[in-house]
Amino acid sequence: MAKSFVIELDFEACKGCGYCLEVCPRNVFDPGRAFNAKGHQPPVAARVDDCVGCQGCFYACPDFCLEVTCRE
Amino acid sequence: MDRLFHKFLRARKIPSTACSGCGLGQVHKRVLLALERLDLGPDDVVWGTGIGCAGRQTFNTWRGDNFAGTHGRVYAIAAGLRVALGPGKKIVLTAGDGDAFGIGLKHLLNCARRNVDMTVVVADNLGYQSTGGQFGITTPRGSVTDSSPYGLNEPGWLGGGLDVLEILKAAGATYLARHLSLDGASSVESLVMALENPGFSLVHFIYPCVTHFGAVTLGERDKGKILGSFRAMFAGGGKGGPTDRDDGRGGETDGGGRKDPGPQAGSGPVSGDPAFRLKRGTYHDGRGLRPEFAASLIAWTKNVREGAGR
Repeated sequence: MAKSFVIELDFEACKGCGYCLEVCPRNVFDPGRAFNAKGHQPPVAARVDDCVGCQGCFYACPDFCLEVTCRE
Repeated sequence: MDRLFHKFLRARKIPSTACSGCGLGQVHKRVLLALERLDLGPDDVVWGTGIGCAGRQTFNTWRGDNFAGTHGRVYAIAAGLRVALGPGKKIVLTAGDGDAFGIGLKHLLNCARRNVDMTVVVADNLGYQSTGGQFGITTPRGSVTDSSPYGLNEPGWLGGGLDVLEILKAAGATYLARHLSLDGASSVESLVMALENPGFSLVHFIYPCVTHFGAVTLGERDKGKILGSFRAMFAGGGKGGPTDRDDGRGGETDGGGRKDPGPQAGSGPVSGDPAFRLKRGTYHDGRGLRPEFAASLIAWTKNVREGAGR
């Protein structure tokens, strides 16, 4: 069975730069609509089932608010 | 927050005050990944910071011991600290391009000359961005900035036959590497080698500044597009994950003998500058080839004392 992954995105810590959207080769993220307390719009991991765990978004995130882990 | 934050960083300093989209956090993250790989914790590292974007946004984020140096002098302070600390603790310094290669270059060269055991992480945003986006010492020739509205007319430390890492190599540094902040595992690998080196190591990271370099020089406001342009310029890559696949292959270093074409007035931003074809990965590996400063000084002092006692 193919591996599946969990994407944890910290809504309040995100600054909404959109780098995860930009680097994802599987188009897992969508632009977010909701604002956090600091006025940023964090993206949403809308198609997490498409994630292949390349860690591109983890490496690209400058704000320590995104983690991709393999679901056991 | 991710696992690196929980292991290494202070809650009151993260999220940092860096602009949304600033690549500095990417550089910081790679250093933490290297420390995680080496199984080092907050008690094993003393972290010093310089001045400017790189110093301010990383200052006091480390959960362990911290210090901030005066502008360009953090290397000199760290050299003294190296003697006082003993070999058990690592010293990591984060500084910017102006701090390391501008005002602090002489201190940096003298640390390299003495081969003082420290790891200097230069987070280079290609100019003086914290003061409003003036051109700096690594800004590519031809760049339009707030202080070079017709394009930058002078050579920097990157490109035009010059490379600041070559100067550091000649000064005696024992490990040197260069990466983009977008590089993945290969940049962590270089940092691991730098941290393991019992001598002077420097890893030069070029990272995107979205607020000034992106908006003024690249003429782009969309952060995703800035990241894409930045990657295309330096790594030649398109949409995808980390840019490791280009490491050591696509890039070429600007050789010393090449004729420097110079900037074309009004030719627009940065195109054609050799800085954009810099090779990524390890630049110089002389680990273990030269004696380390603090260890030799301590041994030498011990010998003198024992000799004087006789």
